[in-house]
Amino acid sequence: MTAPTRPALLSRIRFRDAGTLLGLVLIAVIFSVLTPVFLTTPNLMNILQQSAINACIALGMTLVIISGGIDLSVGPVAALSAVLGAAMMVAGLPVPLAVLAALAVGLGCGLFNGVLITWGGLQPFIVTLGGLSLFRAFALIYTGGTPIFGIPEGFRAFTNGTVAGVPNPVLIVVVLALAAWVVLNRTPLGEYMMAVGGNEEAARISGVPVRLTKLAAYMISGLMASVAAMILIGRLGAAEPTLGTLWELDAIAAAAIGGASLMGGRGSIMGTLIGCVILGALRNGLTLMNVQAFYQLLATGIIIIVAMLIDRATSGKQGG
Amino acid sequence: MQHILKGGLAAAALALSVGMVQAQDLAPLNSDSEPDRMDWSELDAKFGALPAVPAGTKVGGVSKTLTNEYWRSLGQGYQNVADRLGIEFVYQAAQSEGDQLGQLAIAENLISQGFNALLFSPQTDANLIPAMEKATAAGIPVLNVNDAVIPSAAHYVGNVQKGNGVNVANWFIANRPDGGKVAVIEGQPGVYAAGQRTAGFTETITAAGKFEVVASVPANWSREEAFNAAATILQQYPDLIGFYANNDGMALGVVEAVKAAGKQEQVAVFGTDGISDAYAAVRAGDLTGTVDSFPVLTGEVAMEVALRLMAGQALPRVVATPQALITKDNVETFATSDMAALRAALLAQ
Repeated sequence: MTAPTRPALLSRIRFRDAGTLLGLVLIAVIFSVLTPVFLTTPNLMNILQQSAINACIALGMTLVIISGGIDLSVGPVAALSAVLGAAMMVAGLPVPLAVLAALAVGLGCGLFNGVLITWGGLQPFIVTLGGLSLFRAFALIYTGGTPIFGIPEGFRAFTNGTVAGVPNPVLIVVVLALAAWVVLNRTPLGEYMMAVGGNEEAARISGVPVRLTKLAAYMISGLMASVAAMILIGRLGAAEPTLGTLWELDAIAAAAIGGASLMGGRGSIMGTLIGCVILGALRNGLTLMNVQAFYQLLATGIIIIVAMLIDRATSGKQGG
Repeated sequence: MQHILKGGLAAAALALSVGMVQAQDLAPLNSDSEPDRMDWSELDAKFGALPAVPAGTKVGGVSKTLTNEYWRSLGQGYQNVADRLGIEFVYQAAQSEGDQLGQLAIAENLISQGFNALLFSPQTDANLIPAMEKATAAGIPVLNVNDAVIPSAAHYVGNVQKGNGVNVANWFIANRPDGGKVAVIEGQPGVYAAGQRTAGFTETITAAGKFEVVASVPANWSREEAFNAAATILQQYPDLIGFYANNDGMALGVVEAVKAAGKQEQVAVFGTDGISDAYAAVRAGDLTGTVDSFPVLTGEVAMEVALRLMAGQALPRVVATPQALITKDNVETFATSDMAALRAALLAQ
């Protein structure tokens, strides 16, 4: 079924990625003209570092969106794995074990969402909206609302460290993005995600394991949320039950700017990454120019809508 | 919790020394009880007049969000001093109080711009830690200004949160000699300011002997939740004589509940912060009082402390900023926008 359409689909996605990249270059050119600090190596590393957490979340979100779903619970999932992981570290559990346990928390939350959506037959929006409250509540109840301080020094040194001048969180994102790209473009699972998101009924008839595919997408999303949580608590040196507020919206925005269709069946890892950097560069550049946060919000809104309009104009029949 | 916190900070401090020049060994900050402290009113007496500011001085401020009057007023205070002394001043804030990473990004972006000092009002105790570490490593003095407290902060300028509650408790002790039942409407659980304000009120009024705190419930800074909580409490304890709310928004919700129950004569209601709505309600006789922490003046004091630090003065770790109980009797004295007159009124207290 995919043999004749696949090359065409791929080339269209690459075309879309080039468009997103062009957008980023445009923003970069404008800011480097307006403020000399923008195009310096420390500042560019700053932007990448600040975009890393959103990128983690957005990678998982992209896979969920491609398979036709949505995951609104990512912020609270991150908060829950952050406080549980931090508590284990503070209690003296070896850091690698605590990190693995925290990642398992993320996977578990994804499993919870995925099972309710696939076997429970509930709508993704509602299930993950429920998860948004539920996981946040667990994190708040567990900590009594107070942050957990005392993240071990070794772990902090790792998340704040650099390799050849590149911050470690950025390298983690690069590795994860490569993995996500391979999954999406080189494995049956990726093909299944595209198929399920494109036309669930057709996918089912042609023998795609629809439920397992969706379940995998939500579990990956939960996992990515806990990776983001680990990066953040390492950077902050503390885990707060309130962390991750509105992360879901930033991630959806990045995926959408990068060309993911909320109708499912379409999206790009490269595009999402560039989308994250666009959002990060925008915030950075406007702060450097001393523009108020309210206008940063305005700029973000404009970029999302312009990206969608360009999508509509170039792909013709998509959208709506 | 306390020693976990301490151990963790020691570890964090160690981690910092890896690759960073800073090697300060500071105990986790508790802004209310830190012994190395002074009151704002003693600054001139102990350290002399404000030192001269070198030309080209740049100071940056990052606060929670400009949708809240308090943070706009604080920024006004910073700006007042900057304008008076010809300092270049940049003031930025996040989109909302929940935007922790956005605020961190703003703070980090400011550091790369060559400021001589930075004034941080973090969303939470932890979210600006990386920016503070980075600035400190770059040799830029960072002041933690109200109200979340960064445990590793070297300098804190702000309100003694506990004092807010103590002030209100003292009013009850002086003005309701027969004692009675009182209730507290708390802010967000786990927030330092909320806990300290409640503790200050409850400890002081309980120690006086004749009062009983019959209810102490969180309303999460929300006017509506405070209204509902107060209505329930009034039903349960019809002989209640007073409420203390951890902020003015909630106090105004309580006022509505007291009015709805027709108990304005019997129940005194106090808030905290001194927002303009609270002043109006005090004038109108709806709100019995509020503890004003004078955000504009606080901003001025914080900026002055920053300038003193830049000039190398060895100030204590905590500088406490002014507060005063505002009631109908003194509302006009403190409602002034003339900061010199306000300073004089506060110093005369």
